[in-house]
Amino acid sequence: MLKNTNSNNIIQLHDVAKTYESSNTPALKSVSFDVEKEEFLCLIGPSGCGKSTILKIIAGLDAATTGTVATPPNISMVFQNGALLPWLTVYENVALGLRSKKIPDAEVARLVKKHLEMVSLQDFASKYPRELSGGQRQRVGIARALAVEPSVLLLDEPFSALDPKTTDELHQDILRIWHETRVTIVMVSHLIEEAVSLADRVILIKDGTVSEIFTIPLPYPRREHTETFAEIVRRVRSKFFA
Amino acid sequence: MSSERHVGTHRHHTSVSYPMSLHQRIYTLVIVPILGLFLTFILIHAFGSHAESTEISRLSIVGALAATFGRLLVAYVFALLFSLPLALLVTRNAFAERVFLPLFDVIQSLPMLAFFPVVIVFFVHFGMYNGAAIFILFTAMLWNIVFSLVSGLHSIPAEIKAAGHIFGLHGLAFARKILVPASVPYLITGSILAFAQGWNIVIVAEVLHTYLPGSTTAIDLYGIGSVLVHASADGQQQTFLAAILALVVVIALCNFFIWQKLLHHAEKYKFE
Repeated sequence: MLKNTNSNNIIQLHDVAKTYESSNTPALKSVSFDVEKEEFLCLIGPSGCGKSTILKIIAGLDAATTGTVATPPNISMVFQNGALLPWLTVYENVALGLRSKKIPDAEVARLVKKHLEMVSLQDFASKYPRELSGGQRQRVGIARALAVEPSVLLLDEPFSALDPKTTDELHQDILRIWHETRVTIVMVSHLIEEAVSLADRVILIKDGTVSEIFTIPLPYPRREHTETFAEIVRRVRSKFFA
Repeated sequence: MSSERHVGTHRHHTSVSYPMSLHQRIYTLVIVPILGLFLTFILIHAFGSHAESTEISRLSIVGALAATFGRLLVAYVFALLFSLPLALLVTRNAFAERVFLPLFDVIQSLPMLAFFPVVIVFFVHFGMYNGAAIFILFTAMLWNIVFSLVSGLHSIPAEIKAAGHIFGLHGLAFARKILVPASVPYLITGSILAFAQGWNIVIVAEVLHTYLPGSTTAIDLYGIGSVLVHASADGQQQTFLAAILALVVVIALCNFFIWQKLLHHAEKYKFE
């Protein structure tokens, strides 16, 4: 395979494989794809297909066993269960990444305020995570990830523990934030409808390798009840379960 | 990671949850001393001898209790200082865990009192009578805290550690901002266990002469443990009863004013 040198690509994975020490079977066999700047990319696939491993490798939390990975330095992440620190206030949780960058307090305050406003939680700065609902916690997680003003935002099944109404609200929020900040998003999901309603491109991962790449040509906001939407979902679904 | 955090799911509580209500706390403060005294009283009347001799004054019981508490406190501070580095060492990586954890397990399961005669000989050689008791208390307390901390460090969700790495926390900063706060609830339960173990050991650890052949009670340490043992050996019922009561009251007060408050405070550091 030729190395893609398109300068518009912010992330490049080439022939990436991963085998964990504790296992004989590889988590990833060979994964190659690029992520374009400002793109909203979604990785989907059945459980255990390796989609979360790909995200961890992009995040730098795991190293690829073989293959090459090119990523920008400032990558941020939103976790499945929020991963907020229970002993810190909402403010300090959002400031976490800024504090380790030794940013002056006044600038920290400005960035925290700006990003809490972005997720409509400006009035919750002094609350603790346990005082918030699941959706609010996930919003804090999003604000924390955005506060470091990343060039890539990784989302690891961020809506999977939420009820449908909250999930829907957060879908709207994440699309609005994406349009406002133009941050590149790579999201892992196991829901086909979610992927099709949010992403520019959907990559189906099966058995530790890229099985199919779908480009979603629908304009935003996407209407989930239209025939074209249903048609794309059907197409993805047929490959997902093939 | 469990995905238990659905909106509307309530946190699982055991039968006693913290924060305890004031009623519950006062209940423990009152009921424990009453029960302790009642039991001792019954037992003395059923089985005790009736020889009465020189009584130790009330004041000296308070003094003895303070001396013993001081010993426990010193041993606890040492145990605390050693336990965090040891726990961090064990949980540092899989290799360290394979090497050190089985070792700690064996050391922990050794009955330290069996080694007390050797420990005493060593410390007495340097004239450190108190040192002997404090050392034995230290070894009894240390492992309770170490193993509590190890299980605490193990229970930190992978997602939390990942978040630490993503947001730039490494090495000491990671320990200070993630590992230490996450260990707080385990440090407190470990400390409660350590003190319980300490009170248990201190009763015998102060009576040094029983471990040194040819020595007299003169080398025994002044404390509630030696007061209890001597009172019991000499058949001084009232002294014994007063000492037990004082001991139980102090432990109940510690529980009320220290441990219950700390357990309440620890809720803040728990992952859901």
